[in-house]
Amino acid sequence: MYHYIVRRLGFGAFTVIGVSIVIFFVLRVLPGDPLVAIFGPEGFTKLSDADRAGYMAQLGLSDPLIVQYLHWIGDIARGSLGHSFFRAESVADMIERRGPLTGEIALISVALSWIVGIPVAIISALRPNSFGDNITRFVSILFLAVPGFWFGMLIVLASLFWFGYRAPLAGASLLANPWDNLQIVIGPAVVLGLGQAAYIARMARSSLLEVIREDYVRTARAKGLNGFRVISLHALPNALLPVITLSGILLGFVLAGSIPVERAFGTPGLGYAMFTAVSERDVFVMQNLVFLYAVVFVMLNIAVDVTIAWLDPRIRYQ
Amino acid sequence: MTVPEAIGEPETLYPIERIPAAPETTLRHRVGRSLLSFVRRAPLSAFWGCIAAAIVVMALTAPLIAPYEPLKSDFRHMTKPPAAPHYFGTDQIGRDTLSRVIYGSRASLTVAIGAVLFGTTLGSLWGLASGYFGGRFDIVSQRIIEFLQSFPDLILAMAIAMALGAGIGTVIVAIAITRIPFGGRVIRAVVLSLKEMSYVEAARGLGASHLRMMARHILPQCIAPYLILATTHLGVAIIIEASLGFLGVGIPPPTPTWGNMLADSLNGGLVPPWWLVLFPGCAITLTVLAFNLLGDGIRDILDPRLRRAV
Repeated sequence: MYHYIVRRLGFGAFTVIGVSIVIFFVLRVLPGDPLVAIFGPEGFTKLSDADRAGYMAQLGLSDPLIVQYLHWIGDIARGSLGHSFFRAESVADMIERRGPLTGEIALISVALSWIVGIPVAIISALRPNSFGDNITRFVSILFLAVPGFWFGMLIVLASLFWFGYRAPLAGASLLANPWDNLQIVIGPAVVLGLGQAAYIARMARSSLLEVIREDYVRTARAKGLNGFRVISLHALPNALLPVITLSGILLGFVLAGSIPVERAFGTPGLGYAMFTAVSERDVFVMQNLVFLYAVVFVMLNIAVDVTIAWLDPRIRYQ
Repeated sequence: MTVPEAIGEPETLYPIERIPAAPETTLRHRVGRSLLSFVRRAPLSAFWGCIAAAIVVMALTAPLIAPYEPLKSDFRHMTKPPAAPHYFGTDQIGRDTLSRVIYGSRASLTVAIGAVLFGTTLGSLWGLASGYFGGRFDIVSQRIIEFLQSFPDLILAMAIAMALGAGIGTVIVAIAITRIPFGGRVIRAVVLSLKEMSYVEAARGLGASHLRMMARHILPQCIAPYLILATTHLGVAIIIEASLGFLGVGIPPPTPTWGNMLADSLNGGLVPPWWLVLFPGCAITLTVLAFNLLGDGIRDILDPRLRRAV
């Protein structure tokens, strides 16, 4: 087990380095001058050549790419992530202020996806191809097709129209103002949670239907246990392994999906910051945020692999 | 060089019974028959397939169907709710929402089909090659695919679309790149299992070249999983395209796309008019649903074992 974790972590570190190289070079092939993004096309033409060179040097953009890259990695290692082109707040402060909100959204949505998805899967698997099964399958397929951010916009609109209600727009931390915080977080969490619940329900259903064919499940039924007990106590634990894997992957996708969803709700989280950075072509913020998301994604995958290996010894000893 | 005429009269040389040309073996009949069996075995999927086809037709014939020009402003009807002349209402500068939704299907479908054609196909061919050759090439390919998969696909697409600048081509490339790993993984897994089959070994024993082995003996078996992947990913690509448009890194306005229509609806103020939100989103949902259910049907019929893999 120990060896397995070390191996996964080593490979994860390798991936993170590769990821940082990819992000850096993808974002630096940006056509167009970053100075145009900062000063606007009009302000840019007013700059003299010397000014331009001065600003480029100040931003560290006139060094060779390799030097810039090493510089950036050094900054990350020291924990200073630089500044936005447009805002006084440093990227590190922004992550500290906005990150928890997005983290809460992600965690609540995962919890919600299990709370909704697993019972639905059990109901489906109890009587496959029955009316109820077909309905739940259709609803889950429907939820795979609904874009989360659109669903979010509809929720915002509906609550405004019918209840005259809108979640507070200013950020509120969980500790200082839990009630406001909950109101901000709950909308995106529900939208993202239901989206994941559809995947979870589908995966859990097919996994359950496979496990149900095993001998020990037949034994449990032969003992006279009722269908619900057989499925939820005997079949479910073994059927959950692929669901856990999927849920971990989905958690990573929720972090990405929260970008448009937070935009739809106007949630002041990290996803919204990403949206602002994208629309302002703010390369420095973009680069650091994409890197952060990628690192979290890699870590999540490792966490899932380790959890699965812990639960299932067959994988550990491969 | 001309092909010599048939040597002699076959009837006189080989007095065998002539087999009457079976009419049902023509391509048209075969396609018709398999379509019919598709309808019989998966009626629901066939129904959604018809809807998908209708959406494609709508995109192709948009100038004929759309009641108004999608870009023309009618300044007497600005931000009007759905009513007689404009059945889906008008946006903040008086453009007809119905026409824009109809034209929006063009962008969505072009991007989705383009992304799947490039991304899923390239990924599948890559998976075919890396599964077939194995060894060092396979290991390197696997690492590259794992790198690509260490970004959530929306973020990767955003970064690429942002780096390459706005435009339909860049959006296609950005989404296509996120599709490559899926093709690579699924097809590689299929190829790995095919490689052990005895008919493949027999072909190798007969001295078939690598190219021939891949093209004649392995590729045909990959078509079913490829089709399943492609239809599933059409839906995913449409959602990513809409998200990119919504975040302002997709196809730039004024070209109407469902994503940038939803983004535009937020421009007027804090509260977007409901008809500008409802209709483009319904179009996205309906299209994705149609392709997904069609894909489900194809999967059930072509290869029930793949239910879990894709």
